[in-house]
Amino acid sequence: MDLSAGRRKKSSCGAFGGAALLAMGLMVATPALAADVIRVASPYQTTTLDPMRSAAAGNIETYGQIYSRLLRRDPETGKLEPGLAEKWEVSQDGLTYTFHLRDAQFSDGSPITAADVAFSLERIHSDKKSAYPAPLGAVDSIKAGDDRTVVVTLKSPFAPFLGNVEIWNMGIVSKADVEKRGEDAFVKAPLTSGPYAVKEWKPNEKLVLEPNPHYWRKGYPKSDATVELMEIASPETRQAMIKAGEVDVMRSVPWAQIDDLKKVETIDMRLEPSTTIYMTLLSEKREPFSNLKARQAAAYAIDNKAMTKAVTHGYAQPANTTLPGSIEFHDKDNPGIPQDIAKAKQLLAESGMQGREVKILATADAAAQQLALLLQAQWQAIGLKPVIVNVDSGAWWDATGKGDYDAAANWWYNETPDPDLAVRWAVCGSCGSSSYNTFYENPKVDELVEQGTKEADPAKRAEIYKEIQKITTDEVAQIPLYYAPNAVAYSKRLQGIKLTPSLQWTLEDTTIAK
Amino acid sequence: MNLLSILARRLPQLVAVLAGITIVTFLLLRLAPGDPARLLAGDRANAETIAAIRQQYGLDLPLWRQFLVYVGNLVTGDIGRSLRFQQPVADIILRFMWPTLFLAGYVVCLAVPPTIVLAIVGARRPGGLADQVIRTFGMVGLAIPVFWLGIMMSRLFGVTLGWFPVSGYGVGFVGHLHHLFLPALSTAIWMVPVLTQSLRAALIDRAGADFVTAARAQGASEREIFWKTILPNSVLPTLNLLGVMVAFLVGGTIIVETVYAVPGLGSLMVAALLGRDYYVVQGLTLVFALATVLVTLLVDLLTGLIDPRVRT
Repeated sequence: MDLSAGRRKKSSCGAFGGAALLAMGLMVATPALAADVIRVASPYQTTTLDPMRSAAAGNIETYGQIYSRLLRRDPETGKLEPGLAEKWEVSQDGLTYTFHLRDAQFSDGSPITAADVAFSLERIHSDKKSAYPAPLGAVDSIKAGDDRTVVVTLKSPFAPFLGNVEIWNMGIVSKADVEKRGEDAFVKAPLTSGPYAVKEWKPNEKLVLEPNPHYWRKGYPKSDATVELMEIASPETRQAMIKAGEVDVMRSVPWAQIDDLKKVETIDMRLEPSTTIYMTLLSEKREPFSNLKARQAAAYAIDNKAMTKAVTHGYAQPANTTLPGSIEFHDKDNPGIPQDIAKAKQLLAESGMQGREVKILATADAAAQQLALLLQAQWQAIGLKPVIVNVDSGAWWDATGKGDYDAAANWWYNETPDPDLAVRWAVCGSCGSSSYNTFYENPKVDELVEQGTKEADPAKRAEIYKEIQKITTDEVAQIPLYYAPNAVAYSKRLQGIKLTPSLQWTLEDTTIAK
Repeated sequence: MNLLSILARRLPQLVAVLAGITIVTFLLLRLAPGDPARLLAGDRANAETIAAIRQQYGLDLPLWRQFLVYVGNLVTGDIGRSLRFQQPVADIILRFMWPTLFLAGYVVCLAVPPTIVLAIVGARRPGGLADQVIRTFGMVGLAIPVFWLGIMMSRLFGVTLGWFPVSGYGVGFVGHLHHLFLPALSTAIWMVPVLTQSLRAALIDRAGADFVTAARAQGASEREIFWKTILPNSVLPTLNLLGVMVAFLVGGTIIVETVYAVPGLGSLMVAALLGRDYYVVQGLTLVFALATVLVTLLVDLLTGLIDPRVRT
């Protein structure tokens, strides 16, 4: 076959030359980063701008940027300080809190009044769609006194109350705006009370924020840069983006990428303190783990020091109790449950659960997969029959919520340094959380949980929480694995930025080095 | 006239396909475990909150009633609101559609010229050196997983060399070309070998056909024979294959879009599935089905233009 060679060569040169030319033309790099944008890449999505509607990770981080709360936490010291309330009084009996508001405005310049505050707190407290009313569980009534005074009365004294009104879902929204526009107010651009206002929201892609000119902290945000909270699911992509300078902050750096990012000169790879605890849920809804001895056997079978090292490359601390290691009243002296194979086998024999099948749920992320495999190997060694079932997070919540699983390694974090919400979430059987879907229930613990909030003396509270940790760790409400820091990579051109233990970015304190 | 007849044949097909897809996705989605209300409200929401959200969005109704409501809205042209974002599904899909369409077009532009050149070079002397080399490289291109290639190219050309961005869609036409170059290239590398194989085989087959011998006997030059006889007769199977691939690209760029963080339909689909955003998933499935039907229609029309026999 002879197909006119000369003609063909020309056409092939043309095609390849064209492609090369196109590629070269495109390479004339447009500057990757304009100077006045701070870009944050996180896997966690913003799905609503309504602070009441969600307690999911991405939303939590967003709320902190667009809404102010009555109190705020100093990002350096972690101490509570005045927020929208410039001062407050607590009655002698600890039942009445009177907040005096400062002169502050929403992003459109309209004043933030006591009516707005009462409205915002009331919907968190009693609206059926409120995702997380627990922090206001002790509240009896919320009333606006005059324009500048809000009076909150409690059903019973509640030690952590001031800390609880600082939590991410306690953001103050505009009553007039929400009543006028309803849910639509939060679909595009709500009036905001925090350091930033919403410039543009592209769901599933990014949220663009601009400084709120009416923010009550004068001179903040320190930089007039716009902020883009970008949702990037793949960790490899986030890593490439920060290395290429396309973003300034990479949230959720996988353990395996930390050493690589540490080597990059322009990047500050940090492990920041968090209240995150990784642990294994055990379903007490069914055998084998409805049996106390089987749970203890499962705990004695596990070497969580070796697991921590293997999974986190030594960047996390092995956990010793059921509570996060950095919250107040965490008992550092609790010995936890060390690995003891002989004892594990003996306990399992006593429980009569040898050879039982253990269904381990695992989601797709690397840590969950590794933890599931390691649990499987260690439980197999003592005579259980573990099988791993892979699910996505929708199916994970479905199964754990019904107790339709045996074990599931996962993590949670506490929004405040105070342990009250943590114990209510993780080990309290009567607090609506089913002890984080384990269905663990011990009336003694539930009683201690209530006592812990009514007691004002820190020394006595410490004793109470020590007791809770002792009981729940010994009874294996969950198997504690490790306390993980937040692994975040920052571009060195940013100063003053961090992710606080309550998962809030200090963007308002951030400046860009020229 | 013939356009109309093709349309008349296709329209009932289209309706049937869409109806079938609507029912199947509706059932599959609802039967899969996972609750959009839980994913919306987050870990700490209690059972009453979840129930209130389900009620607000009508998720507590029996399945058949939910389906009737959905179909009722569909008939009036309303494909629903996103459960997660409370925005109309149509708006969201429209916003994510352009990057994907641009990417699909880009891939075609990058894939078609080398396909033609390589197939002709290979078919010129089947089994010759050039043919062997092309086939070997084709095999390699096919064997490399797209996500791996994507990650490697983004590391090399994006991070190390800094030639191309590793993420996003860019601003303006040139920005799009610049940002989508690596994603388009990683996809094209996988497509070119498939298309080349198809075209090469057709060229070799047609070169030995009787009508070529007839043309040669009539004294036509080899150049004339190739451009006027062999090539037009060979492109049809490849054109059909390309059509299938383009339809697949509209719904199937999930991997490249995830690796390069392109805000397109693929990444929207993944997030909507993980978030159990029922109406967005259903809307996207309809769009993908529609795209497939439209592309095959277009291919049929083009086939008619190229090959007069199809017209009759």
